[in-house]
Amino acid sequence: MKKKLVSTLLSVAMVSSLLAGCGATTAPAEEAAPATEEAAPAEEAAAEETGEGQVVKVAAVETAYGADIWKNVAAEFEAATGITVELTVDKNLEDVISPDMKAGNYPDVIMRAVGAESGMTETFIKDNNLVDLSDVMDLTVPGETAKVSDKMLGGFTNNTITQPYGDGKIYLMPMFYSPCGLFYNAGLFAEKGWEVPTTWDEMWALGDTAKAEGISLFTYPTAGYFDAFLYALMHEAFGDNFANVLQYGEGVWETPEAETIFAILDKLATYTEPTTPANANDDNFQKNQQLVLDNKALFMPNGNWVIGEMAEAPRADGFEWGFTALPAVEDGGERASYAWFEQVWMPGGAVNVDAGKQFIAFLYSDAAAAIFAEKGAIQPINGLADTLEGDAKIYYSIYDTGAVAVLDAFAATESIEGTTIRGTFCDPINSLVTKDKTIDDWKAQIIKDNDTFRANLKQQ
Amino acid sequence: MRQTKGRGLFIFCCVAPAIALFVIFMVIPTIDVFRMSLYKWGGYTADKTFVGLKNFQTLLQSEKFLRSFQNQILLIVIVTIVTMSLALIFAAILTREKIKGQNFFRIVFYIPNILSVVIISAIFSAIYDPNQGLLNSILGVFRGHKDPILWLGSQKIVIYSIVIAMIWQAVGYYMVMYMASMSSVSESLYESADLEGAGKITQFFSITLPLIWTNIRTTLTFFVISTINMSFLFVKAMTNGGPDSASHVFLSYMYQEAYTNSSYGYGMAIGSVVFTFSFALSAILNKVTKRDPIEL
Repeated sequence: MKKKLVSTLLSVAMVSSLLAGCGATTAPAEEAAPATEEAAPAEEAAAEETGEGQVVKVAAVETAYGADIWKNVAAEFEAATGITVELTVDKNLEDVISPDMKAGNYPDVIMRAVGAESGMTETFIKDNNLVDLSDVMDLTVPGETAKVSDKMLGGFTNNTITQPYGDGKIYLMPMFYSPCGLFYNAGLFAEKGWEVPTTWDEMWALGDTAKAEGISLFTYPTAGYFDAFLYALMHEAFGDNFANVLQYGEGVWETPEAETIFAILDKLATYTEPTTPANANDDNFQKNQQLVLDNKALFMPNGNWVIGEMAEAPRADGFEWGFTALPAVEDGGERASYAWFEQVWMPGGAVNVDAGKQFIAFLYSDAAAAIFAEKGAIQPINGLADTLEGDAKIYYSIYDTGAVAVLDAFAATESIEGTTIRGTFCDPINSLVTKDKTIDDWKAQIIKDNDTFRANLKQQ
Repeated sequence: MRQTKGRGLFIFCCVAPAIALFVIFMVIPTIDVFRMSLYKWGGYTADKTFVGLKNFQTLLQSEKFLRSFQNQILLIVIVTIVTMSLALIFAAILTREKIKGQNFFRIVFYIPNILSVVIISAIFSAIYDPNQGLLNSILGVFRGHKDPILWLGSQKIVIYSIVIAMIWQAVGYYMVMYMASMSSVSESLYESADLEGAGKITQFFSITLPLIWTNIRTTLTFFVISTINMSFLFVKAMTNGGPDSASHVFLSYMYQEAYTNSSYGYGMAIGSVVFTFSFALSAILNKVTKRDPIEL
């Protein structure tokens, strides 16, 4: 009998400890959120003047530039304002912060660009879940006398990425930018005496010349790289109608300008190195980049990060990176280069809004810019490109030498199940090269999806 | 009376933790998947809209889902049939025949199972490389080096490239399982079959297969579930659904929609279809393979 009592007690203890365990894990998550919300305004009021005691939660993705830049900038910011920075830097940022976000605890500032595979930033845009950052432009950069708007390069805050709803309000602030264009082996061109083509007709002529020597004209790392390529090509072909195309204007893909683009893509596919699609995935894309280093393909669309990415790779003798904007659609026409840039933004659930805005403003300070630039991360700040040296200067001065900078992207839509910009405008290039689809199939798909995108266009 | 009551309480207390854990971590999330499939939700914020069965409607009209469905069925059928036959043949040879280096083969066949999928994918990416890959180099001896075959680049071939990698990975595991049950088949049966003049193949089909049938049934269900799960890992690591969405399977398509296309609700709708499908398929397999157990 006694034994039974003991065993019953033990099992009761077992059950209750289990329940206790559940209670302990769920309770703080639910209770903590409102508690901090209530406490925050009081704290802020007390510490408004000095910034002491204020906290800003910053989450930044770790990219090729490394995590240290963020730690150093956070330290500088703390020294300048007295606001404490709680920093989260991770390569898989979404995995780290999303469990907390689902429980309602948002970072105040998030550094993550649109176009990432996770689409986190796009999700926040689609959910109207961003803090209006227009007034950050009028903030004085902490520790300096200049305003943010004084420092910002023109065009970077006035495009469809930073103003996703087209209502004149800035929701995402531009950060590091990279000029995207065609990369090639300048050494090979010098050796063979070839000219870098300035029009697509010259491009095809060069393609035939190179083919005779067993070199393909073109390759691409993955189909995803076609977004920057296409934006530049669309800007060249559509001209003034470009903005309308980005808003999925009706019938834009059935115009003569669109035909020009389709003709170029169709021809480009035939000049593409035939094994490219087999390696055009996240695992093997460097093999495609290697084709350029090995003189097996002449051009690839890329951004200047490719130089660091392929720094250790073997290369042909006399290899030297060359970089050019896209060839013009017609003789003497515009040559465009897409400026890919990352963004920093504040989720709608941010608690320390003012401190967050201060932090974003500080990112444009000379101190922060210097820390970033040291690792090659260049922000759109007036005069910053002039201070660069060596190779970097060539890439960042491309817009000084006649190329038009394209900064916009397709307008934000509601989330559309089963249809993506990449799936419609980028991925089919693989099918075109392997001849699984014709250019007419692709065109039909674009026309159909364009209507879908327009119907789901984001209304603020 | 008091004793049975105490006993009941004791059993309840012992079982309760397991049941509670099961309910919290299995039943509730599963129900949640079905519930989520009725919402339009981006996945990151608390902002949800109830849309009823709209997600399922979109799903039924989606060519991409149809394609991933086809790919998945193809994988389940081919991988299951080939892996199972190979595993059975190898197991029969290794248990019934006296060949040199038996242990060596056993280890060699089992090794792929120890490797992680990412490593296997890397190995096969190297094998499938169009220019320097093992496969094209060998084939090049017979067909010349013109027009390399794009194992992971051609939309018609890519899914079979994944099939090969999956079979290579799975054969050893099931072989070991079948070997275990084959070795428990009594030797005397084979001896008497020998005396009756039955050949090796007759023995295999009339003695070995019927006697390990329960094992085969169990592994069939494993196959279906694991092919659905493993194909996601292989696709994710080798092609990420490409080229141009040609190699998507159920779960990779679901992942793409739920985690990269801001369509979490839609992803969960795919999830519920997959759940129902694998449940139904397992049930059907269980039903059609039901035989009276053979007792000796």
